[in-house]
Amino acid sequence: MNTQTKLTFLAAAISSVLLTGCGDAETTIVELPPIEEEHDHDEGEEHNHDEYEIDSAGRLSVTDADSNALAIFDLDDNSLLDTFSLTHSGSALMHSADYRFAVVTSRANDLVEFIDGGLWREDHVEHLHDYEEAPAYSDFTLAGSRPTHVDGHNSQLAVFYDGDADSGIPASVQVVTDTDIAAETAEVNTLTFNVNMHGVAKPVDDMLIASVRRDDSETTSANPILPDSVGIYHRHDGDYEQEQLFAGECPDLHGAALNDEHVVFGCSDGVLVLHAHDEEYESLKVDNIDELNGMRIGTVYAHHDVETFIGIASQHGGGSAVLTAIDPELGEMEAIDWEPETNAHPVSYGFSFDGEHFLILDDLGYLSVLSAHEHDDHAHWELEERLDISDADLSLMPEGGAFSMTIAQNAAVVYVADPIAQHVLVINLESGETTGDIELDFVPSAVTWLGIAEAH
Amino acid sequence: MKLNKLAIVMTMLLPGISQAAEINGQALNQNGQPLAKAEIEIESLNVSVTADDNGYFSLPSVNAGEYVLHIHAPGYAHLHETIEVSDNSSEQLAFRLERSPIEVIDVIAAPMHMSIMESASPVNVLGGETLRRQQAATLGDTLEKLPGVQSNFHGNVASTPIIRGLSGPRVLIAQNGLDVSDVSRVGPDHSVASEASTSQQIEVLRGPATLFYGSGAIGGVVNVVDGRVPSDNDTRGEWLLETDSVNNQKLGSFNITTGAGDLGVYADGYWRESDDYDTPVAPDVDEPDAARSVENSAEESNGFTVGASYLLDDGYVGIAVEQFNREYGIPGHTHGHEESSDDEHDHEHTEAEEEQVFADLEQTKVQLLGELSVNSNWLSSISFRAGYTDYEHAEIEEGVVGTLFENTTSEVRIELMHTPLADWQGGLSLHYKKSEVAAQGEEAFTPPSDAEMVALALMEERHFGDFLVQLGARVERVTLDAPEVLLPQLSAHDHDEAAEEDHDHDHDHEAESSVTRVFNVAQEFTPVSLSAGVVWDFTPGYNAAISVSRAQRAPSASELLSFGPHIGTSTYEVGALFALSGNEDSALSLSSSAIDLETSNNIDLTLRKISGDVGFVFNAFYNQVDNYYYQVNTGLFAESGHDHGDEEESEEHDHSDELPVYLFRAADAILHGFEAQVAWQVTDEFKAQFFSDYVRARLKDGGDLPRTPPLRVGTQLSYQTESLSAHLDITHYAKQDRIDASETVTDGYTLVDAFVAYDFNVMSQDMSVYLKGTNLTDEEARVHTSFLKDIAPRPGRSVGVGLRGYF
Repeated sequence: MNTQTKLTFLAAAISSVLLTGCGDAETTIVELPPIEEEHDHDEGEEHNHDEYEIDSAGRLSVTDADSNALAIFDLDDNSLLDTFSLTHSGSALMHSADYRFAVVTSRANDLVEFIDGGLWREDHVEHLHDYEEAPAYSDFTLAGSRPTHVDGHNSQLAVFYDGDADSGIPASVQVVTDTDIAAETAEVNTLTFNVNMHGVAKPVDDMLIASVRRDDSETTSANPILPDSVGIYHRHDGDYEQEQLFAGECPDLHGAALNDEHVVFGCSDGVLVLHAHDEEYESLKVDNIDELNGMRIGTVYAHHDVETFIGIASQHGGGSAVLTAIDPELGEMEAIDWEPETNAHPVSYGFSFDGEHFLILDDLGYLSVLSAHEHDDHAHWELEERLDISDADLSLMPEGGAFSMTIAQNAAVVYVADPIAQHVLVINLESGETTGDIELDFVPSAVTWLGIAEAH
Repeated sequence: MKLNKLAIVMTMLLPGISQAAEINGQALNQNGQPLAKAEIEIESLNVSVTADDNGYFSLPSVNAGEYVLHIHAPGYAHLHETIEVSDNSSEQLAFRLERSPIEVIDVIAAPMHMSIMESASPVNVLGGETLRRQQAATLGDTLEKLPGVQSNFHGNVASTPIIRGLSGPRVLIAQNGLDVSDVSRVGPDHSVASEASTSQQIEVLRGPATLFYGSGAIGGVVNVVDGRVPSDNDTRGEWLLETDSVNNQKLGSFNITTGAGDLGVYADGYWRESDDYDTPVAPDVDEPDAARSVENSAEESNGFTVGASYLLDDGYVGIAVEQFNREYGIPGHTHGHEESSDDEHDHEHTEAEEEQVFADLEQTKVQLLGELSVNSNWLSSISFRAGYTDYEHAEIEEGVVGTLFENTTSEVRIELMHTPLADWQGGLSLHYKKSEVAAQGEEAFTPPSDAEMVALALMEERHFGDFLVQLGARVERVTLDAPEVLLPQLSAHDHDEAAEEDHDHDHDHEAESSVTRVFNVAQEFTPVSLSAGVVWDFTPGYNAAISVSRAQRAPSASELLSFGPHIGTSTYEVGALFALSGNEDSALSLSSSAIDLETSNNIDLTLRKISGDVGFVFNAFYNQVDNYYYQVNTGLFAESGHDHGDEEESEEHDHSDELPVYLFRAADAILHGFEAQVAWQVTDEFKAQFFSDYVRARLKDGGDLPRTPPLRVGTQLSYQTESLSAHLDITHYAKQDRIDASETVTDGYTLVDAFVAYDFNVMSQDMSVYLKGTNLTDEEARVHTSFLKDIAPRPGRSVGVGLRGYF
C-alpha cells in the first residue's frame, strides 16, 4: 500500500473527527419543586441545617406475648426491620430517655437489656445531626435486684431496683443517658439505699429526686415496703449524696412525675409537690379530694409543656379509675370527668407528644382523647372525642393480654397494639383517623415508639 | 526509504515465507566496557531480554525481516537500532550505549514512545534511587523537585502536584494508568489516595495529556506506577525503614514480586506515622510568639496491596486489590476563625475555640490489568486496564463526622495496537469511566453527581528519516448528572455596604421563610483533543521537538454545581451554573450564560542533548486556555453555616463565621513559561545538575491568576562510587509578586537538602544505609501555592536515617 495514500487517509480521519461535534456542550436544567423552609426564630438552631436532619416517622418496638422475641418496625413504611431474641420472656418494655433504645426490664431475672432502635440525634453544637441505622442488640446491660420503675426525663433514664428483703438486698437507682448506653459505659451513676423498697426516682440534671424508705419504726406508710419520704440527691463522681430529705411527707408513696417546674408524688393522703427554689426544694401537700371515693393517687402523668399534672387513682384489680388534674402552682386538685363507657377500665394513659391531648386507652378498645380548656384561669381537661379502635370480640382476648399503646414523640400519632387482631393501628390524633395498620404474626404484649423526638 | 540506525522504523512483516533466525549480541558502554543488566527489546514483537553480567544477550529466534531493537540501561541514553535479519542466519551484534547524565526512564505502557529524551511532548519519570530519595508523605511534595512541577504544600498532610501552574481538576492523578478516584481534585486539604513509598516509578506528563487520559488531564498527568499485577515472576523486592526528626516520622515499607510456573504474585505494604512538624518560626504570621510547630499536622497511614497474575507465553493477565488508609490532621481547618485582609470590620479571633479537625480516609481499589501480544494481520497487541475504587473520606470534628466524601469509580480502558501500517505504528484506545461522587455534611458544597465518560482515541507515530511524527486525536462524550442541585436563597452581603447602612442587616432575618430552589441538571459535553508533534534528530546526540495540541475539557462538578462553604479554601464556593443576580434577597441566581468547554491551545518547544558528558533538556510552552474556569471574589460574604443561633441576639456585628463568596466563571487565560534541565557528568563519580522552571499565568484581559508557582532555580550535585553516594540539592524559590487581588506577595527562599548513602551486602542481600537532611539552613519557607501560606510554612531542619534492602 502506498504510504502517501495511508497518510491521506489518516489526515482525513483526523479532520473528520475534528469536524464532527467539535467542542459540543449542552446543559439541560429542569427546575424541581423548591424546598421551603420556615424560619422560626425561637428555634434558630434549626435553620439552614436540614441537611443533617432525618425526616422519619420513627420505629416501633413490639414484644411478643408468647415468646422472648422483640420486633422492630420501620414506621415510614410499616415494614419489619429486624427481630431480636431477648434473654427472658415476659419482660416489660420501655424506651430510653431520648427514645433511641428499647429498654427491656425483666424484674424476675434482675436484668435490663437495650435494643438500639437505630434512629438518634446528636447535638453537634453548630447543628443537630441525625443518624439512621439498622436496629441492633446492644451489648450493654444493667443488672440489679428487681428492676421495676424505669423513668426518663431530660435525656436521663433512671432505673429503680426495688431490692429484695429476703436476701437483704437494698434498693438502688442507676442513671444512664442514651450516649452512655451507646458507648456501653463502664461507669454508671448509681444511688444505693440501705434498705429495699418499691420506690421511684426522677433524674433532674445532676440531681436525683428519689423516694426514701425510713425505718419501719418511723414510717408513716401503712405498707412499710412503700417509702414515705423523698430525698434530693446530688451527683459527685458518679455517686449520689443526699442533700435534702422530706421525711415522712408522703405516706405509701407510689407514682411520681415531673415537668420543668414541679415534681409530684402520689401519697395515700394526697400528693406531695416539690418545687425548686434557689437551689433548694420546697414542699407542698395537696390533699385528696372527695371525688376519689377513698382511693389514692398511685400514678401521675406530666408533660414538660403542660402545667397540670394528671393523677390517676384506681382500685387494684382493674376497677374504675378516677382521673384528677393537679395544679401544683395553686396546690389544687380537681376530678376530670372523662365520661367512661360502662365497665371500661383504662389500661394505658399518656400525654400526646405536644401536650395538647391526654389519652386513655381502655380494655373495651376505646381511645379517649382529652384536651384542656382555659376556664377562670384554670385548665380544665375534658373529653374531646372517643375513638373505637377495635371491633373484635373482646372475649377472644388472650389470657393475660390487653390493648396497649405508645405515643409518637414527633407527631400527633398514637400506636395501639391489639392482641386479638394481632396488629398495631396507627392513629392520627388530629384527624382522629386510623392511617395505618401494621400486621403482626404474633400476639403483641407491649409496644414502644423509638426515634427522634421533636425538640422542645 | 532511508533507514536510520538511531531511529524507530517499523516495517511490515512478510508472513509465511521466512525461516527462523537467531540474534545474539553484547551491550557495551561508550568505552567499550560490557554493560551488565542492559535491557534489549524487539518492540514490534513485545519481546525483551536482559543482558548478563558481561553484557551478553540472546533473543529468541525470529523470522527474517527488519527489526527495531530498543536497548537501554540506567544512566545511558536509549538506543534504537534497526537490524536486518536474513533466513537461517545467526546474527552477532554489538551495541554501544552513550552515557546520559540525565536519567532516562520510559513511560510504562504508553501507546507511544515517551521518555524525557524521546517524545514530542515533555515527560518526566521519577524512578529508582531518585524516587526513593525524594519520596514524601504526600504526592505533591514527592514530585516537587521535577522541573515544571511544584507542590501546593498543605501543612505536610496533603499536597497535590501543580504542573505548569495548573492543578485541581486539570491535573489527573492516576495509579497504573487508571484514575486514582479520590476527592483530592476538589480541595487542597484532601489527600491523594496513592503512596510513593511502594511505587516503582511516577510519571509526569506536562502539558495537555488528554489524549491518553481524558479531558481531566488538560494540564498534565501524574501516573503512579507499581508492579501490583506482575508481568513476570522473577523473585525480587525491597524494603525500607526510615525515621525523620522534624515530625518524628517513622516509615516502613516493602514490596515483593515472586511466583512459580505460570503464576506471578505481588505484595506491598507500608506504614507511616508522624507527629506535628516543627517550623523555623512560629507558623502563623499573625502570632509570632506562638510555639514553633504546626498544630494538627500529624498523620498516620498504612496500606497494603496484593496482586496475582497468570503469565502467558505472549502476555499476562492479573488482578490486584489495595486497601489504603490514612488519618491526618487538617491544620488551619478551623471554624469561626476566618479573616479577610480587605475587610475593615474587626473580625473576632477566638483562639480558644479552635477546633481540631482530622480526616479519615479509606479506599479499596481493585485493578485488573493485562497485556496480550496477538499474532494477527491487523493487531499486534491488546492491553486492557479495568479498575473499581470505593473511596470514603470523613472529616471529623470533635469526635463526630462533619463531612463525608464518597467516590465510587469504575473504569475500563482497552488499547488495541495495530501491526505497522505503512510504517505507522500506533493504536486505538477505548475508554470508559463512571464516577459517583457524593458529599454530605457541613462542607458538602457540591451536590451529589454522577459523571460518565466514553472516549475513543487514536494515536500514531512514524519515522520519516530524521523526523519522528506523533499524532493523536480523541473524542469524548462526558455526561454529568446532578439530580438535586440546590440554590439556597443566600443573603450574602457586602461588608462595606453594611457599614454604610449602619449595620442594618434586617434583610437577613426579615424573611419568615426562605426558599431553596432545586434543579435537576444534566450536562453533556463532547470534548475533542488533537495533538501533533515532531521530534527531529538534527544532529547525532541532539534532538529538537515541537508539539502542538488543542485539548478540551468538560468542567467538573465542583466548578459548575458548588454552592456552600468550603473550609479547605476558606471560601464560600459557588459554581459557574450560577451568577450574581443583583437582588438583595437572593444574591445569586441561575446564570444565563452557556456552560462551555474549556479549550487549551498549547505549543511546546523542546531542545535536547541526549548523550555525552553534558546533557540538557530545554522546554518552552505557550498555553492559551479559552473558557478557563476560575474563581472570582464577588466581594460578598456569606455565613459559613458553622456558627449561628447567637446571631439574632448579637447586636455587635460579628463576621467571624462568614466566608467570602467566590464564584466560578470562565474567561480566557494565558499560561507560558519554560523548564530547563542541564546535567554534567564531570567525572565518573561526580555529576552536577541544574534546573529552572517558570510559569506566568494571567487572564487575557489582564490580571494574574492566584497561587501561581514562582520562578525556581536549583542545583543538584551528586557523587557516586560503588558503595558510597552523596547528593546535595540547593533550590531557590524566587519571590512571587505577580499576584491576584486576594493574595499577598510571598518572599523567596532557598532550601538546602543533603543525602548520603552507603551500600553494602549482608547475606547476599544488597542493603543501603542513609542519612538525609532537609532544609538544613532552617529557612522560613512560605509556599505561595499553598492555601496555608500564612499559617503553615514548610518544615524546619530535619535529619533522617534509613535502611533499605533489595533482593
